[in-house]
Amino acid sequence: MKKRLLIVVVLFFVFAFSLTGVGYAMKGDAIDSQNEIQSVETLTTAENKTVQTKLKRWGYYTGSIDGIYGPKTKEAVKYFQRKNGLTADGIVGPKTAAALGMTISSSKSTQSSNDLYLLAKCVYAESRGEPYTGQVAVAAVILNRVKSPSFPNTISGVIYQPYAFTAVNDGQINLTPNSTAYKAAQDALNGWDPTYGCLYYYNPATATSSWIWSRKTVVTIGKHVFAM
Amino acid sequence: MKNKENEKESVLADDRKRKKKRGAVIGLAITTGILGLTTMGFTIGFGIAQSNAMRYKNDLVNIYNENFYNLLDSVNNLENKLSKTLSSNGTYQRKMLLEASKNAGEAEVSVSQLPLSQSDIQDMIKFVNQISGYTSTLANELIDKSTLSEEDISTLQDIHESVLQLKNQLNEFERKMEKGYSIIDNIDIDVTNNGFSQMITLSKSNAIEYPTMIYDGPFSDSVTNSEVKGLKGESVSKSKAEEIVEKQFKNTAEIKFEGETKGRFETYNFRIKNSDGEMLYIQVSKIGGNILTISGAGKDGDAAIDMDAAKDIAIHFAEENGIENAQVVWSDQIKNDVYLNIAPMQNGIVLYPDLVKVKVDLTNGMIVGYDATTYFTNHVARNLSKGILRESDARGKVPSNFEIAQSRLVLSPLEYNREVVCYEVETDYKNETYFFYFNASNGELENVLKVIKTDNGNLLM
Repeated sequence: MKKRLLIVVVLFFVFAFSLTGVGYAMKGDAIDSQNEIQSVETLTTAENKTVQTKLKRWGYYTGSIDGIYGPKTKEAVKYFQRKNGLTADGIVGPKTAAALGMTISSSKSTQSSNDLYLLAKCVYAESRGEPYTGQVAVAAVILNRVKSPSFPNTISGVIYQPYAFTAVNDGQINLTPNSTAYKAAQDALNGWDPTYGCLYYYNPATATSSWIWSRKTVVTIGKHVFAM
Repeated sequence: MKNKENEKESVLADDRKRKKKRGAVIGLAITTGILGLTTMGFTIGFGIAQSNAMRYKNDLVNIYNENFYNLLDSVNNLENKLSKTLSSNGTYQRKMLLEASKNAGEAEVSVSQLPLSQSDIQDMIKFVNQISGYTSTLANELIDKSTLSEEDISTLQDIHESVLQLKNQLNEFERKMEKGYSIIDNIDIDVTNNGFSQMITLSKSNAIEYPTMIYDGPFSDSVTNSEVKGLKGESVSKSKAEEIVEKQFKNTAEIKFEGETKGRFETYNFRIKNSDGEMLYIQVSKIGGNILTISGAGKDGDAAIDMDAAKDIAIHFAEENGIENAQVVWSDQIKNDVYLNIAPMQNGIVLYPDLVKVKVDLTNGMIVGYDATTYFTNHVARNLSKGILRESDARGKVPSNFEIAQSRLVLSPLEYNREVVCYEVETDYKNETYFFYFNASNGELENVLKVIKTDNGNLLM
């Protein structure tokens, strides 16, 4: 009996082990689903009235149909979302609107903050251990490259230029940025540049390229040297 | 009886033996099975890993090859359009310039997506970007005049010569690709020794010389290297700069010198920590001792002050730091951070080129961001004329279906370091905000900006 148990256990481990091999091979296929940004829309008065009417008819809302998205309406929306298995954030986005059986007007132009998002990702991947100003400076370097003739002319072009950033090369770019990285990216987009136009930065402790050392140093912030 | 018992025992012993044997056989079978399955598992796992790796490699090879062939096409076309530009005139020449500009732009996109070392490829990217800007600038000039200047023709000839060399180099490389050269097998992880880079740019000794293009247009050097005009006064010492910081931030608990900046601006840098534990990084100019930038993350929490209070704090701070006659011209709020643009006034004209940006944290009313570099780059006493256009005329120029909210005189920074006094008319159309800029001296429409609402604040574009 004991022997058989042992065999079963060994068998189990061997299987688990060989499956890990398969699992390892498949890992590359996994898609990071966290990187989705929810776009927040503001509704028109007419749309708010529709939301209120529907919620009142179904018993989620008890207030008046005034077209104003107040706290009562928000509570009702949250209640509706909870009951319908949606994220209870009180915001009528595309999914909630669909569940309510209505479409949100599409004539309004909405824009996600894709530039901010990309910038925040790169800042987080490249400099999350750095002081806040060091993170603003990294974002500023990316934006200075966009402006410079010697680099691509879009934020995505600069960030995804092959070999431009180590954290893009090794996949750290796909980590989810934290709020500090977002703030730093936002500040740089608003024009902050503590490096005064630098195009490069490196960590003198780890930089291997001899070429980078030949650039004119402007300022050192945290562990990074910023250069022209 | 004994015999029978013996027999029984021996039968039992036989049975045991047989059972033992059977157990051994089963054990062996299972072990073999396990070994077989393990080998199979590993083989399958390895096989999948290998085939995935192959698939990814192929995907990458295809992307690199596509980009290389796109680059080749664009450079071949660019060379062709440049030679046609040089052999034509009038409308056709203008058309060729515009196409050359487009081809150069395409070349830039392709080359920057190839796995090339930064140091090897920068000059080439700059070259094609500047060709794109230069040719489109020349094409614009041909709207008002009939022929290009001799100087421009000569520059175009130099450009053409370099593009021809680049074209030959790329075509030579393409012949290598035909013979089986693989981009991906020649990229070294160590970017300083990238075989592909060296192959495509040829060795440094054989490098193409790129001509200088002097023009006021996209990607020109004059636009990227603007000189500092606004700093005045004497040089201050480090300790004086520290005093200036301490005077501004009265609740400073800790101040630390963080080195100097030696760029377009020369500054002393400090890191301060105030009594709330908030950290700020501050740069003070050596000339004049002005606070140039402040950066800090700000705090999360509930707002303690409102937008109007934040505006007062920002204006007061700017005035204390040598920004004269300023008013808030744009504000935006992202969570509890208020971003304010402050501009000085001169004779009732808002000086947009001299913007100061301030970030105020609504949770404690502190300045957590400040940027006066634009102000100190551009601010000089200007000789401004209000022009001949009347405000009512400017408002009359807005399309009739736009609702006018307000208008005022501004100095508008236009492309390529141009500053023009304009009437700014803020309008509303289908619930969206547009700003029109009419030249105050000739009434021409110089610019239109639209407010684009995004998930994180508003953009002016």
